[in-house]
Amino acid sequence: MDFSTSYIDLSNVRTISRGDSQRMEKYIRQFYELIPERLELLKKALLEEDRVQIRQIAHKMAPQLQFFGVREISNPIKRLELEYISMPKEELHELVLRIIAKLEDAIAEVSTILKHHFE
Amino acid sequence: MNKDSNIPAHITCAIIDDDPFISDLLMDKLTQHFPEIQVIAVAKNGHEGIEKLMKLRPKVVFLDVEMNDMTGFEMLLQLPEIYFKTIFITSYRHYAIKAIRFNALDYLLKPIDLEELKNAISRFKKQDMQSSLADPIHQALVNFSTLDVKEHVLTLNIHDGQLKIAIKDILHIQGDRNYSQIHLANKKKEVVSKTLSDLATILDGHYFFRCHKSYLVNRYHVQALVNNFSLMLSSGITLPISRRQKQPFLDWFSEKMLP
Repeated sequence: MDFSTSYIDLSNVRTISRGDSQRMEKYIRQFYELIPERLELLKKALLEEDRVQIRQIAHKMAPQLQFFGVREISNPIKRLELEYISMPKEELHELVLRIIAKLEDAIAEVSTILKHHFE
Repeated sequence: MNKDSNIPAHITCAIIDDDPFISDLLMDKLTQHFPEIQVIAVAKNGHEGIEKLMKLRPKVVFLDVEMNDMTGFEMLLQLPEIYFKTIFITSYRHYAIKAIRFNALDYLLKPIDLEELKNAISRFKKQDMQSSLADPIHQALVNFSTLDVKEHVLTLNIHDGQLKIAIKDILHIQGDRNYSQIHLANKKKEVVSKTLSDLATILDGHYFFRCHKSYLVNRYHVQALVNNFSLMLSSGITLPISRRQKQPFLDWFSEKMLP
């Protein structure tokens, strides 16, 4: 299966799936189930200005985002993990919003892939 | 649970992680690349993990450091015995990395790298031929249950096994390029193939201080500032303090000693 993607990179998913489309779907669907759930928690934590929770959610999502090659997100996540206490409020806010926007793009792309190739 | 194998599985393992993505990924990598390993249990939290481990008794456990209901270490402390090899699963920036390295425990970084997984399993096979009692997890759990940091025992992997040294027995450590000499209170010296910077990141910052590019000192043994740029240890030896480190050293040394 050949997917053209702009926000994610499915190389790792292809490698682990070894041409098995069911396995590929399992990983893609799992992303589509887990990431939006965590995204909602991230939005809530931002609203409540709960820095510890923001860091925890970012930390939890990081391996899956890395695996899915979500572009330009590893540095913002790394900064959140390291500077979640010291970062000025406005900067933290701006950084989290940037992450949210990138994740929304990635989720939309994953949704399109699921719709066009697995349904 | 392995399906693709023609080779009979003889190493049973369990995966305990609250992230289904990591559990699935690890399970697939094990199934695809290690026909000798059979995943006999997957648990999504510590409580479920305890239940399955006690019932199924796997030989290897891949254990998440931090789960929703408890940490991996807390889970291990609740078990009546640890007869299996533990390989922790964690993220690079997790605070537990320091404790894992201090205790020379095996770990994999998320998302699981295949080469690291191969190395961890190969280490397990070598260790399994010796004794499960050699697993540093036993000492690690003693450390976790001991509040007094100076009573903690540092475990380092050396060429023919493991070196265990109590924090209170270390006077100072001297760096020598890729090696470090650990000077002990009993006047003995251990040489390990770790840089001074490696050891500085593993050791507790309250007890150990890099007073000079070549020296790390244990506050438990620092007796006095001898002159402007030297300190004396309980053994009577004096070590230099670099110009740049003098004020940070004074700040560190004036902090209250932990009990």
